Amino acid sequence: MNIAVLLKQVPDTTAKITISGGKVDENSVSKWSMSPYDEYALESGLQMKEATGGNLIAITCGPERSKKMLTDAAAVGADTLIHISDDGVKDSTHVQRLLAAAIKKYEAQIILCGKQAADTNGGSTGPGVAEILDAACVTLVSEVSHIGDTFVTMRPSATGTEKVSLSGISVFAFDKGNTELRRPNVRGIMMAKKKVIESISAGDLGISLGDSSIIIDSQNPPPEKPAGQKFEGAEHVPTVVSKLRNEANVI
Amino acid sequence: MSFTIIAETNGDALHPTTYQLIGAASSVGSNSIVLCPNGNGASEAANINGVEKVISVVGDCFDIFDGGAWSNALNSVCEGKILISASPNGREIAARIAAKRGIPVVQDIVSITEGIKVERPIYSGKAVETVTISGDAVITLRPNAFEAAEKGGDATISTVNQSADIKISIQEAINKASERLDVTEADIIISGGRGMGAIENFSQLEDIADIVGAAVGASRAVVDEWGMPHRMQVGQTGKTVTPSLYIAVGISGAIQHLAGMRSSKYIVAINKDPDAPIFGVADYGIVATWEEAIPALKSALSEL
Amino acid sequence: MRIMAYEALDFYDVDSLLSEEERMVRDMVRDWVDEEVIPNIENACREGVFPDEWRVSLGEMGVLGAPLEGYGCPGLSYTAYGVICRELERGDSGLRSFASVQGSLAMYPIWDFGSEEQKNHYLPKMASGEWIGCFGLTEPDYGSNPGDMITKAEDKGDHYLLNGAKMWITNGTIAEIAVVWAKLDGVIRGFIVEKNDPGFSAPEMKGKHSLKASVTSELVFQDCKIPKDRILPGVKGLKGPFSCLNNARFGISWGALGSAQACFNSAKDYAMSRIQFSHPIASYQLIQNKLAWMLREITKGQLLAYHLAQKKDSGDWIPEHISLAKMNNVDIALEIARVARDIHGANGILDEYPIMRHMANLESVKTYEGTHDIHNLILGRHITGIQAFTRDL
Repeated sequence: MNIAVLLKQVPDTTAKITISGGKVDENSVSKWSMSPYDEYALESGLQMKEATGGNLIAITCGPERSKKMLTDAAAVGADTLIHISDDGVKDSTHVQRLLAAAIKKYEAQIILCGKQAADTNGGSTGPGVAEILDAACVTLVSEVSHIGDTFVTMRPSATGTEKVSLSGISVFAFDKGNTELRRPNVRGIMMAKKKVIESISAGDLGISLGDSSIIIDSQNPPPEKPAGQKFEGAEHVPTVVSKLRNEANVI
Repeated sequence: MSFTIIAETNGDALHPTTYQLIGAASSVGSNSIVLCPNGNGASEAANINGVEKVISVVGDCFDIFDGGAWSNALNSVCEGKILISASPNGREIAARIAAKRGIPVVQDIVSITEGIKVERPIYSGKAVETVTISGDAVITLRPNAFEAAEKGGDATISTVNQSADIKISIQEAINKASERLDVTEADIIISGGRGMGAIENFSQLEDIADIVGAAVGASRAVVDEWGMPHRMQVGQTGKTVTPSLYIAVGISGAIQHLAGMRSSKYIVAINKDPDAPIFGVADYGIVATWEEAIPALKSALSEL
Repeated sequence: MRIMAYEALDFYDVDSLLSEEERMVRDMVRDWVDEEVIPNIENACREGVFPDEWRVSLGEMGVLGAPLEGYGCPGLSYTAYGVICRELERGDSGLRSFASVQGSLAMYPIWDFGSEEQKNHYLPKMASGEWIGCFGLTEPDYGSNPGDMITKAEDKGDHYLLNGAKMWITNGTIAEIAVVWAKLDGVIRGFIVEKNDPGFSAPEMKGKHSLKASVTSELVFQDCKIPKDRILPGVKGLKGPFSCLNNARFGISWGALGSAQACFNSAKDYAMSRIQFSHPIASYQLIQNKLAWMLREITKGQLLAYHLAQKKDSGDWIPEHISLAKMNNVDIALEIARVARDIHGANGILDEYPIMRHMANLESVKTYEGTHDIHNLILGRHITGIQAFTRDL
C-alpha cells in the first residue's frame, strides 16, 4: 500500500520570530523543523507501514531548504522522498493542488498530514486535498489503522471520542496524541544520507498555478499587550474574566 | 453583495458564534444569507438583524459529521464570500468548499474591515498577518473575536433538499470523562502554590480546570511539601509551559517558578499579598485570598 | 514532544560547518538529552546512579564507538564523535564519560589491537550497548605516571594470571568486560578481562562529590585467571593505552564545550530574570563582562575543537594537537562553570540549576585523561624538546 505523508518545514516552534519590513524574516530563523502535528502523521504512517507493509512516500511543497526535512523523514523510515518546488505558489489552494497531483501521480491510497502547520495555522491542507481527490477526510485523529480494506480511526466527538471507519482513498489530519515519536538512529541517518530526493515542479505535475484573489499585505508583531492591570479584591473577578474573553481572547 | 453564512449550531439552536458571523458581515456593510445545515436554527436565524434570507439545507447526509458530505450539500447554495465559524468542523467544511469552488480559504481571522481586509494570527500568535481578499473566498472567523449581531428583522426561510454521499461511518461512541490535560499540552493552566493552604483545596482548582478544559499545575513548594505529583510542577526543575493563559493562585512568583511559565501568552495572578513578585509579570492581577477569588472565578467562568 | 528545545551558543556559526550527517546526529542526541536526560539527571546525581535506560538508548541510537568502522560499529567521522560528546556533556559529564570509556577506551583498543576473533566477539555487543566496557590503566599509586604500573600478568602456559589493582575506573562495577593494561615480563600489554573471570572483582568507589551520575570503581585482580586468547596481540608498551587516551581526550575537547554552553545558557537566562535594585542583573556591567568573557572562550574553544576534528578526520594530527584542545577547553569550561555559579548567586548552589553539578564534574574532567598540568608539560616538551615530567633529584 502506498502511504503518503504530507510534511511541512516550519520555523522551530521554540524559535523567536523576527519581523522586519512588514514580513517575517526567514533569514533570522535559527532552526527549521518538521511541523509538530506532521510528526504525529509521520509516526502513524511508519507504524502502518510496519504493520501492513507498504511504501511510505514523504511529500513536501516548499523551498530548497525543506529538502533537509525529507532527509530527516528518511532517517526514521520514509521510503520515497518527493520535493515539490513552491515557485509560483500564492495561497493554500495552490499548495493543495500540487500535493493532490503528486498523490495521484504516486498512487497513494492513504494520505496522512498534520491538522495544521505551525506557521500558517490554517488547517486547510488535509480537507482541501481530500476535496480535490474526492476522498473522505477525518480530522483531529490521533491514530489510524488499516484492517482489510477499511481504515479505522478515533476522532473527538461532542461527548468524548468516537471510532470511525471508512474505505477508499482517505485523508487523515493528525492532532497531537499519546504516541511516542520514534527517534532516528545512526544507521537510519547514514541510509537517509544516500536517499535520493525527487524534486519536481508544478509543470512536471501538469499544474499551472495562476493568480490568487488574496494578497498578504503584511505580517506584523501582535498588538502590544496592555500594561498589566491590578485589581484589589475578589469582586473584580468577573471584570477580569470578561477581559480575558474580550480583550485577551483566551477563553 | 451579501455574504453566505454557514450557521454553526448547537442541537436545534444557533451557536453564539453564528451571531458573530452575521455581525461581522454587517460591519463591512454586507447582509447575510444564512445556510442552516439540516434546517437547525433556521427560524432563529430569520430573526437576526442583517439577515437577508435563510436557507434550510436538509438531507440525511447531515446525520453525522462528514466534512465531504456536508460541504457537498452546502456548496450548491453557496455564493460569493462565504463566512464560517473557525470551529474544527467549520474549518474543515471551509477548506473543502474552497477547494471545490477553486477559490482561496482564509482561516481563523480576528478582524475584518472594508476592502475587504482581514487579520489573522500566525506562528501560534507570535505574529499577525493582514490579508486583502478581492474576489470570492471562504473565510473562517475565530469564535468570540467579533461583535454579535442583535436580534431583529424577519427574513424569509426557504428549504432545499440536498443529499450527498457519506463516506464515514461511526462504529462506536466512547463517552469518556475527559482526562484532564497535562500541563505541557494544555492551552490554559491553573496553578496553585503555598497560598492554597492545603492540598485538599486543589479540588477547587480542578473544578475550574474542568469548566474551561485546563490543566492543573503546581509550584515546587506544593510538590515537595504536600506531595503533589511531580508531573504537575511548573518551574525551573519542573515543566516549562507556554499556554495561552496561565492562572497562578497563591503563588508568590519566585524566580524558579517564573522560569517555567513566564512565556505564557497571558498571565493572571491571584494572591493576597499585593507585593508578591508574580504581579510583576501578570497581565491581570487580583489581590484577594483564594477563598474569595476562586468561587468568584468559578461562577464567572460557568456563566460564559 | 519537545517543549523548550535546547539552543546552544554558536556565535560564529561553527555548527554550520557540520556535514548533513553530523547535523542529523547532533539533533538526534540533542533531542534525546532534552527528553530523557535533563528531566532525570538531578535525581540520578542525588542518588549516585547511572540510569541503565541511558545505556540502552545510547545503544539504540547507535552512537557507541562512533568513529570505529566495521563489526557493527557506527563508522562516523571524528567530527560526529565530537558532536556526540558535546551533546551528551551538555547533559552531564558523567553521561559523556560513560560513552567515552565505552567507545574510545574499551571498544577502540579491541578494534585497533585485537584479533579478528576478539573483534567479532566483543565489538558488536559493545556497539549495541549490550555489553559495557571499561579501561584499566590507572592504579592507586600510578596516575600521571602509568609507565611504572605494578599490575602484572604472568604466562602460566595455558592461561595468564593477573595480580594488582586499578583505581578510578569509570563503568567498572557495571561492565561486562575490562580492557586491562598490565606488565607481562616487564612490557605493558592489553588484556580483556570478563566480569566472571575467577579472581576478579570491581567494587564501586563511593563518596564522590563529582561525576555522581557515573559509576567509578576499583578493579581488583587476585590471582585472576584469564584464558590465553584474551591478550591483545596488536600492541606492546604505552602506545596501546595512549592511543586510546588520544581518542578519548579528543572527545573531551568537544564534550567540555557542551558543559560550558549549558552553564552559559543558565547564567544568561538567570541574569535576565533576576531582578535586584529594580533591574535585571543582566543590566549591570560586571555581569555583562562575565557573560562576554564566557562567549569569547566558548567561541574560541569551538573553533579549536572543530579544526582539531578536521585534522583528526584527515589523519594530519599529532597527540600534542589533542593535548592542547583537551586542556584548553576543559580549563575554560571549569572557569565558566565557576563564574556562572557566581552569577546565579545563592540559587547557584541548589540542584534546581545545573551549575554546581557541572562545576564539580569538571574538576574530574580536568584531572582525568591527563591532568591539566601534564598536558602543559606535553606541550612544553613539544616546544622545547626537553621533557620536564621528572628529573633526578
